[in-house]
Amino acid sequence: MTKIELETGGSVWKVLAKEGNQVAVGDTLFILEVMKMEVPYEAPIDGEVVAVHIAEGDVVEEDQLAVEIKNQN
Amino acid sequence: MINTTSILFNLWTRAKTIDLLSYLANLEYDTYMNWKIETDEIARRRTLALEQGGADAVAKQHGKGKLTIRERISKLLDPSSFEEVGPTAGTGIHNKNGELIGFDPANFILGFGKIEGRRIVVGGEDFTMRGGSPSPAGLRKSVYAEKLALQHKLPLVRLHEGSGGSVSGTSGKGQSLPDPVNSPARFRSVAEALATVPVATAALGAVAGLPAGRLVASHFSVMSKKTAQILTAGPAVVERAMGEKKTKEELGGWKVHTKNGTVDNGAEDEEECLIEIRRFLSYMPDNIEQLAPVIDCEDPVDRAEEALINIVPRDRRKAFDMHHIIRSVVDQGSFFQIGAGYGRSQIIGLARMNGQVVGVWANNCKFLAGSMTADGAHKARRFMELCETFSIPMVSLVDEPGFMIGSQAEREATIRHGTAAVLTAAMTTIPWASIMIRRSFGVAQAAHYGPEGFVLAWPSAESGPLPVEGGVAVAFQREIAAAPHPEQRRKELEEELAARQSPFPRAEALGVHDLIDPRQTRLELCRWIDRVQPLLPALLGRAEFSVRP
Repeated sequence: MTKIELETGGSVWKVLAKEGNQVAVGDTLFILEVMKMEVPYEAPIDGEVVAVHIAEGDVVEEDQLAVEIKNQN
Repeated sequence: MINTTSILFNLWTRAKTIDLLSYLANLEYDTYMNWKIETDEIARRRTLALEQGGADAVAKQHGKGKLTIRERISKLLDPSSFEEVGPTAGTGIHNKNGELIGFDPANFILGFGKIEGRRIVVGGEDFTMRGGSPSPAGLRKSVYAEKLALQHKLPLVRLHEGSGGSVSGTSGKGQSLPDPVNSPARFRSVAEALATVPVATAALGAVAGLPAGRLVASHFSVMSKKTAQILTAGPAVVERAMGEKKTKEELGGWKVHTKNGTVDNGAEDEEECLIEIRRFLSYMPDNIEQLAPVIDCEDPVDRAEEALINIVPRDRRKAFDMHHIIRSVVDQGSFFQIGAGYGRSQIIGLARMNGQVVGVWANNCKFLAGSMTADGAHKARRFMELCETFSIPMVSLVDEPGFMIGSQAEREATIRHGTAAVLTAAMTTIPWASIMIRRSFGVAQAAHYGPEGFVLAWPSAESGPLPVEGGVAVAFQREIAAAPHPEQRRKELEEELAARQSPFPRAEALGVHDLIDPRQTRLELCRWIDRVQPLLPALLGRAEFSVRP
């Protein structure tokens, strides 16, 4: 299981990842807005999204768990 | 014992074959004119010293996946280049007849050695003896490390694993004599070393107390993720004083200290730490009286990377990859990042332009928009001090939205740390080249430009007192509120003001040296470094300020 944690606080602008979706390396999972900048988070592995812990509009904090991806293998 | 037996045997064989008088003359010669007994003992002491804390202690060290200090030194240095200082310092153990039966070497190994053919001073605690807590001779050797480096004007490398003083004293009997009131300041040589020669340190096992202080009193520090912890005080002391129950790793493992800036870099294991130190020193001169080494550059100075023309998105909300810009501009493969884990809105490192060493400082808009945070400012301030101390020119790639704002930033005293960075830049004497990549706002932007620096702007450059998005909301608050469609009016105002922040009027007023095609950045910087290199010899010697941890 690969856990995507937030590197900074901010607000969640867009969530593209959906539970059950297959993702490939480099796919955008969600986009934070931090200091008026869009910060995309990309899938580090190929796999299946098994959990999405954030929703659009959420105010989030550093180190918060955002998405979990199960390795394809 | 062996020596006495061999003398008696010698005596017996000789007495049989030669007359007594001539034998006695020879005996006198042997005993008083020849130093065989002593040279044998010296050799024995040296051999015993190499055993360190003994086979069991060494096996235990290896069992924990760690190297001994002698193995570390040997892996750091060029083969066979170690020239040890004080190998016979320690405590001889004698039997009741006064014969040497053992030898406890000082538990700090010190000496000269070479890295890529360049001489350095290297030292480190021997954890196989007293857990690296200094023995009397160990302490003397450890303190001598800075003095040797200063005396010979050579870079200093310290490889740390050990703890500080013990209540039982260095003698182990609680009888250490306190220093006299007129003794010189203990840490003066540590501070002097930082102002004079490059100092690189590694945490390779648990480093606590005094060695932890010495670890961070450096220009570059790295810790082994596998084996190191850095602790002001270890778990037992912490539990007793604070009631907090934590493991060494929880208190001071790499996850804590590469993120808070206690160390600059984290490396996977000990060997990688040593490689990082070798790499760091490759950019450094031997001391402040010399220039950083220049190497041949195979990367064409006019290499123009096509991707740079569209790397900065026109949409100001969209981030770009500053690391890609750095790689495209500096000599290929030459960027050595320092402090990647903390103060992440600022990217810091050493690199080469046309073979010549430069400091590189850039904003990372993917992390807190690249704003100047307290820890980012601290990292940048230390880096400017390093470049100033060793007369290394600075390349600054600017995308600075301003000081970080919000309640956390206020709690971290961002304005104080940020202003320290701004004023440090203002006091530097090294040449600067600043490339305005995108944003350059507020007080914070001033930190990215050195006095009389060379300034180029990309077409994407925007500058002013503060970014339009925040500025418009404040300055036009009433107008926006009174408009029939406030949100639309706000956007119009933002567009209007953004247009005014274009770099063209700035170039017309000679507010920048030139506006450039981003693809020409490498060529322009290589030309600049060739122009400023002849100015550097005049900067050599003691800088007005030095590096503080």
